Amino acid sequence: MATSNGRIQPNSWVFLRLASDLLRAVEIKPNTIIEIGKYGSVPSNLLLGRPLYYTYEVLEKQEGELYSRLRAVPPSELNADVIAEEATPDESRAEPGTPSGSGGEGIDIVADDGTVIIKNNRLTIDDASRQALSHTEIEELKKSSGGKEIIEQILANHAGLDEKTAFSKAKYTLRKSKKYLKRFTVLPMELGFLIDYIMLKEPARTMEIREETLGLAMAWSNVHFSKSIDGDDNLGVTAPGGRWLVLDDTGGLVTAAVAERMNLLRKDNTTAQTQANNGAPEPSEVSMENGDSDAKPHTPVVHHDFPIPASSNTITVLHAAVQANISLLKYFDYDGNNPDPDHPLHNHLKTLSWLQLLHPEEDPTYREPETATPEVMQTWKSGKRGTYFKKRRRWERCKAIVDETRAGGFDGLIVASHIDPSTIFPHVIPLIRGGGHVVVYSPTVESLVNLSDLYSKDRRTAYLSALAQGNEPDKEDFPVDPRLLLAPTLQTSRIREYQVLPGRTHPLMTSKGGSEGFVFTARRVIPLEGGVEARGNFGKKRKVDQANGSDVAAAAPST
Amino acid sequence: MSAMEGVEQQPAPVVSPFFHPPLTAQADSLAILHVKRDSLLPVTLRTTANDGYAEGAVTNTRFGSYPHSTLIGVPWGSQVRASKVDTGTRGRKTKNAKSGTATPASEPAEQPPQDEAAADSKKRKADDEQLQPPESPTKKMKAAPEPTIKPPQPPLKAAVEAGSGFMHVLPPTPESWTYSLDHRTQVVYTPDYSYILQRMQVKPGQTLIEAGAGSGSFTHAAARAVYNGYPSDSSDTTSHGKVCSFEYHAPRVDTLRSEISAHGLQPLVHVNHRDVYNDGFLLPSAVSPRANAIFLDLPMPWLALKHLSRSSSPTSPLDPNSAVNICTFSPCIEQVTATASALRKAGWTEIQTVEVQNRRLDVRRERVGIKEEGLRGVNSNPATVEESLSRLREVDAKLSEFHAGKAGVPGAGKVQSKAERLEGIRAELGGRKLFKEGRLVHRTEPEVKTHTSYLTFAVLPMAWGEAEEAEMEARWPVDMTVSEVKVRA
Repeated sequence: MATSNGRIQPNSWVFLRLASDLLRAVEIKPNTIIEIGKYGSVPSNLLLGRPLYYTYEVLEKQEGELYSRLRAVPPSELNADVIAEEATPDESRAEPGTPSGSGGEGIDIVADDGTVIIKNNRLTIDDASRQALSHTEIEELKKSSGGKEIIEQILANHAGLDEKTAFSKAKYTLRKSKKYLKRFTVLPMELGFLIDYIMLKEPARTMEIREETLGLAMAWSNVHFSKSIDGDDNLGVTAPGGRWLVLDDTGGLVTAAVAERMNLLRKDNTTAQTQANNGAPEPSEVSMENGDSDAKPHTPVVHHDFPIPASSNTITVLHAAVQANISLLKYFDYDGNNPDPDHPLHNHLKTLSWLQLLHPEEDPTYREPETATPEVMQTWKSGKRGTYFKKRRRWERCKAIVDETRAGGFDGLIVASHIDPSTIFPHVIPLIRGGGHVVVYSPTVESLVNLSDLYSKDRRTAYLSALAQGNEPDKEDFPVDPRLLLAPTLQTSRIREYQVLPGRTHPLMTSKGGSEGFVFTARRVIPLEGGVEARGNFGKKRKVDQANGSDVAAAAPST
Repeated sequence: MSAMEGVEQQPAPVVSPFFHPPLTAQADSLAILHVKRDSLLPVTLRTTANDGYAEGAVTNTRFGSYPHSTLIGVPWGSQVRASKVDTGTRGRKTKNAKSGTATPASEPAEQPPQDEAAADSKKRKADDEQLQPPESPTKKMKAAPEPTIKPPQPPLKAAVEAGSGFMHVLPPTPESWTYSLDHRTQVVYTPDYSYILQRMQVKPGQTLIEAGAGSGSFTHAAARAVYNGYPSDSSDTTSHGKVCSFEYHAPRVDTLRSEISAHGLQPLVHVNHRDVYNDGFLLPSAVSPRANAIFLDLPMPWLALKHLSRSSSPTSPLDPNSAVNICTFSPCIEQVTATASALRKAGWTEIQTVEVQNRRLDVRRERVGIKEEGLRGVNSNPATVEESLSRLREVDAKLSEFHAGKAGVPGAGKVQSKAERLEGIRAELGGRKLFKEGRLVHRTEPEVKTHTSYLTFAVLPMAWGEAEEAEMEARWPVDMTVSEVKVRA
């Protein structure tokens, strides 16, 4: 399976993580040159087929070589420093400066003869002159020798190294290694790395969604692979499939996460390869439409520009602009403008605009194009005939998507949109089936606090009393029907990272600020017609509220 | 009552209600009854039962009784009214049947079944017992086991709606299961497992190893993550996602197995009774699960690591063609240090420890002001400087009125008394729309899980050596004529 491949695949996107911890997205095409920051460039073929998650070192160009070779650095070598430190626990405990026993770092323990046993940073001198090598000398070294040698030289020439504590020595070595070792790590195109990559470059593009928030939202949306089972011989059952409705202003990141969980995000390289080997040519559009229209039923033609969408395990993206912005899907080989029938999103991703959803009759794509009789078409030039069929196909696809979306029955709703959710919900919540999950992501809390308030216990009670009195509840007071969602919950998750090293485990000193990221979750329910009265002991004695003391009591226990 | 009893006797659903919920609640299938916030009840709906109710199977809650006949066939998500169920006399009706067929022989026949005794002595306790999900071997037996031979059922009485009480019927999901399951061990909750599965990049079609299955919360979420269809026949070559679950506590294994089977997950979840520290992660007859991801919820994960190498004998449990993600779940920092050290020595990379801090927020309206005086759940302090001034002036006016009254000055009594003021506030209350008054505020919910566990992640790349490198050099030779072509800046 493509998803479980541990190698760098040809024509796939990967991330290169440089020593600076910066990520760089690169498409590895065979027989090309890949630039790796200031380390220079290497032929892509040196990376193809090599393992992902490996760290590679750019070797010095040897005499007569046209390109730098790469060395796959085994993980054991990467971990060697820390392991060596751990391997001699007794020694390192004796080593002054390691917090152990009674004396921690920074505490002077003076022996009887007055010598300092525990080193600290009291006498540290912060001065560039401590480094004996000059800037030009280091530059010379860089030209003549590899990263390892430079670091050794630098360390050897640091006058104050012995005064440093073990910890600061380790930090110094690490800093110098990052600077002079030409190493980079190849990471697969996974959502977590994509988030890291975009967070640094343009966080607003993905609404600053963090990996932990994305994971949380996806879990609560219950999105999963859900292709319908139609009277399968072996299983002997029929089971319905699932469809999820998505509003995505994260440039396709949320859509990608949904697609990943529905097994739609990645092309299966194995099938793609076999097809390529078989060399089955795609039926060309022109040859088909040039053919006699009478012959059409005999040669069913598959056009890939406007596929009729699948009926289950699908994602419907509702977008505010004329076209959905899902450009990040390009990292997963999907481009809506360049249909690829081998990509699972090809017929499992449906897009429609708000206009198409709410007022399809106003949308030109939804209006049926004129039909022409075969006799009329006979008189047309092939180009015109092609355009005619293309228009019909586009209309058929649009109509199928719009009609199906308007019919509702979605298994879940996932919203990550700049549009105020209280204006989204009145149109979209009725499209979700009973028991379906509703999830809204927002980078900031305010819009979700407002949304939660629209489903507050007090507001629902007031809504129910208005209904009980036979009044149409005021649209201004009740922008949404508060009965339709159960247990609206607002939450936020944040990860805290730890440095775990022998004797110096602690949370990281700094991390990224920015938006916290909030998730609103609820489940769509079907309210009973007429009044419902709660039962039970609610803990405290409650004074009967004169205003609301009608037969419609607060739906207290149901939230 | 506890309708999941005797799960083993019922045919397991072929297709899991977790993945393919039908349009309506079905008999013999799991439903989650949402009684109130954070009070979810997993119940397998039954058409018949033998607990003495005239209506057949009944689930009792603090908010009413629900005969299953009122639940089966309703669309998912429906709000359902409670029914009038005679809970008082049923014990007497079934006493003979129960003591005859089910009570262990050692128990004197005269002794009333324990559940009845509880019902008689303490109503509240009985309710709580009925709230208990399935009878599990890990719990002390509370009630007499259900008779295996069912006496012929009289025709069921139609349920009669009660005047009050309702709840919602929801299709099961890993989240609702997590928040409703029977706690056998510490549960891995949604904030943690959602991040773990996201971070380990678990995808449909993959294989995940889980050790320390515990209560099965993570098992269900992991099953959803790897699910990519049921194998339809033997010629089906697609690799199907699976979860290989290991647990060394035998009763927990039995309970988890029966749950997995009742939930229609048995084709993709393999529950193994195993001490993984000593016996590793291979499936029966030394078959490798070929795992892509591993989740260890064990006290000493580093002891299990030796079985998770590329070169374990007789065969590695890992997928040789993929990088393998691991996550260990440990509450204590000492465990983390030991795990990280073992991971480094075993050649894992990308080692990172994090903790997930999740908070739920309470949203409410805060009403402040002197017009709230005497009302409940509000703050009747002055909301503005002006309100404060008017309050002070009023006090002042009252004082002078008091003195004036004493002095017999005419016009006394024009200032409102406190009782009159409160009366006025109450009278106005009916016309106010309290749901949109005041300031909208949010704060963290009263109870916070400040620490669950540390999550240590790592990756083991596929094995790589000189032979593999030579093979790739031959497969992708560097052609120097094109090497001059610069592709990307």
